[in-house]
Amino acid sequence: MIRIQRSPIDVAAVIDSVRRDEAGAIAVFLGTVRADPDVDALDYEVYKPMAIRTLADLVDVAQAKFGVVAMSIVHRVGRVPVGGDSVAIACAAIHRAEAFAACAWAMDEVKRVVPIWKQETGPRTPRARRRRSGARRRTR
Amino acid sequence: MRVQVKLFASYREVVGVRQLAWTLRDGETLGALVDAVVDAYPRLRGHRDTMFLAVNRAYAQPDVVLRDGDEVALLPPVSGGFE
Repeated sequence: MIRIQRSPIDVAAVIDSVRRDEAGAIAVFLGTVRADPDVDALDYEVYKPMAIRTLADLVDVAQAKFGVVAMSIVHRVGRVPVGGDSVAIACAAIHRAEAFAACAWAMDEVKRVVPIWKQETGPRTPRARRRRSGARRRTR
Repeated sequence: MRVQVKLFASYREVVGVRQLAWTLRDGETLGALVDAVVDAYPRLRGHRDTMFLAVNRAYAQPDVVLRDGDEVALLPPVSGGFE
Protein backbone atom coordinates (compact mmCIF):
# COMPACT_ATOMS: atom_id res chain seq x y z
CA MET A 1 0.00 0.00 0.00
CA ILE A 2 1.40 3.34 -1.11
CA ARG A 3 -0.82 6.26 -0.26
CA ILE A 4 -0.77 10.03 0.17
CA GLN A 5 -3.94 11.19 1.89
CA ARG A 6 -5.51 14.11 3.73
CA SER A 7 -7.58 11.95 6.08
CA PRO A 8 -6.21 10.36 9.28
CA ILE A 9 -4.14 7.23 8.79
CA ASP A 10 -5.84 3.91 9.62
CA VAL A 11 -2.81 2.27 11.23
CA ALA A 12 -4.48 -1.15 11.57
CA ALA A 13 -5.21 -1.16 7.83
CA VAL A 14 -1.59 -0.29 7.04
CA ILE A 15 -0.40 -3.21 9.19
CA ASP A 16 -2.95 -5.61 7.72
CA SER A 17 -1.81 -4.66 4.20
CA VAL A 18 1.61 -6.29 4.79
CA ARG A 19 0.47 -9.46 6.58
CA ARG A 20 1.85 -12.50 4.75
CA ASP A 21 1.97 -16.16 5.81
CA GLU A 22 5.71 -16.30 5.12
CA ALA A 23 6.47 -13.28 7.31
CA GLY A 24 7.60 -13.86 10.90
CA ALA A 25 7.82 -10.18 11.79
CA ILE A 26 6.13 -6.87 11.04
CA ALA A 27 7.93 -3.68 12.07
CA VAL A 28 5.81 -0.55 12.23
CA PHE A 29 6.95 3.04 12.41
CA LEU A 30 4.68 6.02 13.09
CA GLY A 31 5.82 9.61 12.74
CA THR A 32 3.69 11.86 14.94
CA VAL A 33 3.38 15.63 15.27
CA ARG A 34 5.16 16.78 18.40
CA ALA A 35 3.97 19.60 20.68
CA ASP A 36 6.86 22.02 20.26
CA PRO A 37 6.46 25.58 21.61
CA ASP A 38 4.04 27.63 19.47
CA VAL A 39 3.15 24.62 17.30
CA ASP A 40 -0.48 23.51 17.06
CA ALA A 41 -0.11 21.49 13.87
CA LEU A 42 2.05 20.85 10.83
CA ASP A 43 0.90 21.70 7.31
CA TYR A 44 2.20 19.19 4.77
CA GLU A 45 2.42 19.97 1.06
CA VAL A 46 3.14 17.33 -1.56
CA TYR A 47 4.04 16.97 -5.23
CA LYS A 48 1.73 13.99 -5.32
CA PRO A 49 2.48 12.20 -8.60
CA MET A 50 6.21 12.35 -7.96
CA ALA A 51 5.78 11.38 -4.30
CA ILE A 52 3.77 8.29 -5.24
CA ARG A 53 6.38 7.31 -7.80
CA THR A 54 9.25 7.91 -5.37
CA LEU A 55 7.57 5.88 -2.64
CA ALA A 56 6.93 2.99 -5.02
CA ASP A 57 10.60 3.02 -6.09
CA LEU A 58 11.60 3.06 -2.44
CA VAL A 59 9.53 -0.05 -1.69
CA ASP A 60 11.13 -1.84 -4.67
CA VAL A 61 14.60 -0.98 -3.38
CA ALA A 62 13.70 -2.12 0.16
CA GLN A 63 12.55 -5.47 -1.19
CA ALA A 64 15.81 -5.93 -3.12
CA LYS A 65 18.09 -4.56 -0.40
CA PHE A 66 16.61 -6.17 2.73
CA GLY A 67 14.57 -9.04 1.31
CA VAL A 68 11.40 -7.75 2.91
CA VAL A 69 8.22 -9.60 2.05
CA ALA A 70 5.96 -6.55 1.92
CA MET A 71 6.12 -2.87 2.77
CA SER A 72 3.46 -0.17 3.00
CA ILE A 73 3.95 3.57 3.37
CA VAL A 74 1.15 6.06 4.00
CA HIS A 75 1.87 9.78 4.38
CA ARG A 76 -0.72 12.29 5.48
CA VAL A 77 -0.80 15.77 3.91
CA GLY A 78 -2.67 18.96 4.69
CA ARG A 79 -2.96 20.01 8.32
CA VAL A 80 -2.03 17.38 10.92
CA PRO A 81 -2.62 18.42 14.55
CA VAL A 82 -0.25 17.79 17.44
CA GLY A 83 -0.52 14.12 18.37
CA GLY A 84 -1.66 13.10 14.90
CA ASP A 85 0.15 10.53 12.78
CA SER A 86 1.82 12.08 9.75
CA VAL A 87 3.44 8.96 8.35
CA ALA A 88 3.07 5.20 8.84
CA ILE A 89 5.45 2.54 7.56
CA ALA A 90 4.80 -1.17 7.96
CA CYS A 91 7.39 -3.67 6.92
CA ALA A 92 6.99 -7.46 6.90
CA ALA A 93 9.96 -9.80 6.72
CA ILE A 94 10.80 -13.39 7.47
CA HIS A 95 12.84 -12.34 10.53
CA ARG A 96 12.67 -9.25 12.75
CA ALA A 97 16.18 -7.95 12.00
CA GLU A 98 15.32 -7.34 8.34
CA ALA A 99 11.96 -5.84 9.25
CA PHE A 100 13.51 -3.33 11.69
CA ALA A 101 16.36 -2.46 9.34
CA ALA A 102 14.11 -1.93 6.34
CA CYS A 103 11.66 0.16 8.33
CA ALA A 104 14.40 2.48 9.64
CA TRP A 105 15.99 2.76 6.20
CA ALA A 106 12.64 3.54 4.56
CA MET A 107 11.87 6.36 6.99
CA ASP A 108 15.28 7.94 6.37
CA GLU A 109 14.64 7.72 2.64
CA VAL A 110 11.16 9.25 2.95
CA LYS A 111 12.72 12.28 4.63
CA ARG A 112 15.53 12.43 2.08
CA VAL A 113 13.87 11.98 -1.31
CA VAL A 114 10.06 12.10 -1.20
CA PRO A 115 8.81 15.55 -2.31
CA ILE A 116 6.82 16.47 0.79
CA TRP A 117 7.32 19.70 2.71
CA LYS A 118 6.06 20.70 6.11
CA GLN A 119 5.48 24.00 7.78
CA GLU A 120 4.70 24.64 11.43
CA THR A 121 1.47 26.38 12.28
CA GLY A 122 0.46 27.85 15.62
CA PRO A 123 -0.70 31.00 17.40
CA ARG A 124 2.16 33.05 15.91
CA THR A 125 1.57 31.86 12.33
CA PRO A 126 0.61 34.80 10.04
CA ARG A 127 -3.16 35.01 9.82
CA ALA A 128 -3.19 34.91 6.00
CA ARG A 129 -1.51 31.52 5.92
CA ARG A 130 -3.81 30.10 8.59
CA ARG A 131 -6.82 31.24 6.56
CA ARG A 132 -5.40 29.78 3.36
CA SER A 133 -4.76 26.41 4.92
CA GLY A 134 -8.19 26.37 6.49
CA ALA A 135 -9.90 27.20 3.20
CA ARG A 136 -7.95 24.49 1.40
CA ARG A 137 -8.92 21.96 4.03
CA ARG A 138 -12.60 22.80 3.75
CA THR A 139 -12.76 22.60 -0.02
CA ARG A 140 -11.03 19.25 -0.56
CA MET B 1 8.87 24.96 -27.17
CA ARG B 2 6.84 25.30 -23.99
CA VAL B 3 7.24 23.61 -20.65
CA GLN B 4 5.34 23.79 -17.39
CA VAL B 5 7.31 24.82 -14.31
CA LYS B 6 5.81 23.71 -11.00
CA LEU B 7 6.74 25.45 -7.77
CA PHE B 8 6.34 24.11 -4.26
CA ALA B 9 6.41 25.26 -0.65
CA SER B 10 8.73 28.26 -0.12
CA TYR B 11 9.33 28.68 -3.87
CA ARG B 12 5.58 28.91 -4.50
CA GLU B 13 5.32 31.56 -1.80
CA VAL B 14 8.24 33.54 -3.24
CA VAL B 15 6.91 33.49 -6.81
CA GLY B 16 3.24 33.72 -5.86
CA VAL B 17 1.91 31.02 -8.18
CA ARG B 18 1.96 27.21 -8.26
CA GLN B 19 2.84 26.90 -11.92
CA LEU B 20 4.42 28.89 -14.74
CA ALA B 21 4.17 28.28 -18.49
CA TRP B 22 7.64 28.92 -19.92
CA THR B 23 8.73 29.30 -23.54
CA LEU B 24 12.31 28.42 -24.43
CA ARG B 25 14.42 27.55 -27.45
CA ASP B 26 14.70 23.97 -28.71
CA GLY B 27 17.66 22.15 -27.21
CA GLU B 28 17.81 24.21 -24.02
CA THR B 29 18.81 22.47 -20.83
CA LEU B 30 17.10 22.28 -17.49
CA GLY B 31 19.88 24.40 -15.99
CA ALA B 32 19.30 27.17 -18.56
CA LEU B 33 15.59 27.13 -17.77
CA VAL B 34 16.27 27.45 -14.04
CA ASP B 35 18.67 30.34 -14.68
CA ALA B 36 15.96 32.12 -16.69
CA VAL B 37 13.31 31.55 -14.00
CA VAL B 38 15.66 32.79 -11.28
CA ASP B 39 16.46 35.88 -13.39
CA ALA B 40 12.74 36.58 -13.72
CA TYR B 41 12.10 36.02 -10.01
CA PRO B 42 15.23 37.27 -8.25
CA ARG B 43 13.90 36.32 -4.82
CA LEU B 44 14.57 32.70 -5.82
CA ARG B 45 18.29 33.48 -6.20
CA GLY B 46 19.12 32.78 -2.58
CA HIS B 47 17.61 29.30 -2.96
CA ARG B 48 19.48 28.40 -6.15
CA ASP B 49 22.22 26.31 -4.49
CA THR B 50 19.84 24.14 -2.45
CA MET B 51 17.23 23.66 -5.18
CA PHE B 52 16.37 20.13 -6.33
CA LEU B 53 15.09 19.68 -9.87
CA ALA B 54 12.71 17.22 -11.45
CA VAL B 55 11.57 16.59 -15.01
CA ASN B 56 8.42 14.59 -15.62
CA ARG B 57 8.23 13.57 -11.97
CA ALA B 58 11.77 12.21 -11.59
CA TYR B 59 14.82 13.94 -10.13
CA ALA B 60 16.99 15.38 -12.89
CA GLN B 61 20.37 17.05 -13.34
CA PRO B 62 20.83 20.54 -14.86
CA ASP B 63 22.42 19.17 -18.05
CA VAL B 64 19.24 17.34 -19.11
CA VAL B 65 17.93 18.67 -22.44
CA LEU B 66 14.26 19.61 -22.20
CA ARG B 67 11.55 18.68 -24.69
CA ASP B 68 8.31 20.36 -25.61
CA GLY B 69 5.60 19.64 -23.04
CA ASP B 70 7.95 18.60 -20.23
CA GLU B 71 6.79 19.06 -16.66
CA VAL B 72 9.61 20.67 -14.71
CA ALA B 73 9.49 21.05 -10.92
CA LEU B 74 11.62 23.26 -8.69
CA LEU B 75 11.79 21.52 -5.33
CA PRO B 76 12.94 22.97 -2.03
CA PRO B 77 14.85 20.50 0.17
CA VAL B 78 12.25 17.94 1.26
CA SER B 79 11.07 17.70 4.85
CA GLY B 80 8.45 14.99 5.11
CA GLY B 81 7.95 12.87 8.19
CA PHE B 82 7.62 14.20 11.69
CA GLU B 83 10.67 15.94 13.15
